[in-house]
Amino acid sequence: MLEISNLNARTGDTDILHGLSLSVNKGEVHAIMGPNGSGKSTLAQVVAGHDAYEVTDGSVLFNGNNLLDLEPEERARDGIFLGFQYPVEIPGVNNAYLLKAAVNARRAHQGLEEIDAFEFLKLAREKMALLGMDPKFLNRGVNEGFSGGEKKRNEILQMAMLEPTLAILDETDSGLDIDALKAVAEGVNALRSPERAIILVTHYQRLLDYIVPDFVHVLSEGRIVRSGDKSLALELEEKGYEWVREAASA
Amino acid sequence: MSVVSLSPDALQRAVDDLSGNSAAESRQVALQQFLQRGFPTPRDEDWKYTDLAKVVDISERWLAHAPDAVAEPLDESAVREIQSTIDATWLVFSNGRLNSDLSDALLSEAIDVTAIDNEALTVDDPLADLSAALMLDGISIRVGEAMQIEKPIGLLFADRATKAPQVTQARINIRLEAGSAARVIEYHLSSGDADHYSNVHIDVDTGADASLDYVRLQKRSRSHSQTQRLNARLNDRSIMRHFGLDLGGALARNDLKIDIAGAAASAEFNGLYIGAEKQHIDNHTRVDHRIGPARSVQEYRGIMSGRSRCVWNGKAIVHAGADGSDAEQANHNLLLSEHSEINAKPELEIYADEVKCSHGTTVGQLDEAALFYLRTRGLNPSDAKRILTRAFATRVVEKSPIPELHELLNLLVETRLTELGSEV
Repeated sequence: MLEISNLNARTGDTDILHGLSLSVNKGEVHAIMGPNGSGKSTLAQVVAGHDAYEVTDGSVLFNGNNLLDLEPEERARDGIFLGFQYPVEIPGVNNAYLLKAAVNARRAHQGLEEIDAFEFLKLAREKMALLGMDPKFLNRGVNEGFSGGEKKRNEILQMAMLEPTLAILDETDSGLDIDALKAVAEGVNALRSPERAIILVTHYQRLLDYIVPDFVHVLSEGRIVRSGDKSLALELEEKGYEWVREAASA
Repeated sequence: MSVVSLSPDALQRAVDDLSGNSAAESRQVALQQFLQRGFPTPRDEDWKYTDLAKVVDISERWLAHAPDAVAEPLDESAVREIQSTIDATWLVFSNGRLNSDLSDALLSEAIDVTAIDNEALTVDDPLADLSAALMLDGISIRVGEAMQIEKPIGLLFADRATKAPQVTQARINIRLEAGSAARVIEYHLSSGDADHYSNVHIDVDTGADASLDYVRLQKRSRSHSQTQRLNARLNDRSIMRHFGLDLGGALARNDLKIDIAGAAASAEFNGLYIGAEKQHIDNHTRVDHRIGPARSVQEYRGIMSGRSRCVWNGKAIVHAGADGSDAEQANHNLLLSEHSEINAKPELEIYADEVKCSHGTTVGQLDEAALFYLRTRGLNPSDAKRILTRAFATRVVEKSPIPELHELLNLLVETRLTELGSEV
């Protein structure tokens, strides 16, 4: 589904990704771990299409097509979802309005009719119940005055409504207390499917107790230096990132 | 060099011609006062960015063809459309004349409506003097003691200039007696290809414990000009909430002056201006805290595109002895084109103790992070921009004090932004 080869990317004068390669198939859950500054978030932003990052070499194919040729909104409509590390507050834009516009943009791309207002509300309420979200959040400004946990739940709500084929969740666990973490993990697990791939970008192993990955990759200085199964995350937790750096430079 | 004054002889003749109308004595006093000062010019600090040369020129040509001699048929369908959209008791003024056919009967036990007749009309402002000297149907509205008027009183200025230059000089007094409550909608509209200048002065006086909710809506032709001033005096514990929306006008200048003369009075005033093409929209506000404790809070927002130029100047003066005053000011601007301009200036003068004052002004473009966020949710950049621009506007529109109008105000904003096309 996602084929990243020798990806090099920079922002401004700073090179961040140095020849990163990663292959993700449908149905798989990959965890990308690494110390601060290793390029985890850059990878997420490049796949989503942020124009602050320039790809200087390598390729990214999504379902066989060159992803880098597409605008962020085209990638989204093709089924790529980025759950933000810091979801943006947009006062004055109603949460329900954005959800509905997003769902309809994706549906139009799939050749489907716009979602009916009642159907939309029913679906949104169902998903919110699953995430332990108060339905009143639908009528608030997007992320406006939301707590950290509420913002992250809202990201997962958007993901649940959009049903992407590839979801990249950037530090979805950061700033969450244990209850919020469990609710978010439950929401993500409910979306695991043989047709969908999920990439979890995380600094800590903790999230992986709740969302068990099929593969774990360790990123250091802009490339994947180690890949393994879930036991790699535990090993990393035990030995620390210094171990990876040593392994990388060895 | 701007022309700053009109021919005194022509003005005198025009005022004399109106002597058969109400307030003959006041007119002469006002005329003399106006002649002493003439129109404000950019040399006056308060008029630094707004040049009335064009307005003087229109007035001159209007005086030359004898005011009121060129009859203009009212744009009746436009008036009826507004009347059917907004539920209010309407007083309709056409080029300064009260149109009794289209106006609703306002006389009741609760409200008195009378012609302004030799009241003291001078308020230390040349444009107010000009309106006092040349007004056609000046109206006084009085809401009786303890009367609660639910249905808004609508003041519709529907002006028209098709053949010759036209000028509207209008004057309204609104008095709320103690304990009364009223809502007012002031709507400015104009049409026609000839030049038009409207100068409207409104005086508001609230008794103790009175409450006034006020919405001013300016949707003039974008080739016409206006100056408008509302002076309000708030008595003990009275409340005034005001919202102004400026969408039209080649040149529009609004002055809102609120005098907090009674303890525990409160003033909340907000506004939105949308400038496009070569529009010039200037909002000056001034609040005088003369006694404490009292509270004033204002937020104005602006969206500017094309080569438009807007001005927001908010002055708050906390006078000596007005301890316990609380004054907040905010002004936020969205510049959508590199050729548009905003001159924003908050001014605080504090001469009292135990005062809480704050001000904040921002000027910027749409938030890039928010744009990217919306795009990652599948929205086109143009839709994302449209949504963010409307959200910026909606946030202040929702502060307007007549909730029944929110939908209409948002719709008018939406329509105007759509007219601006791809820029927003």
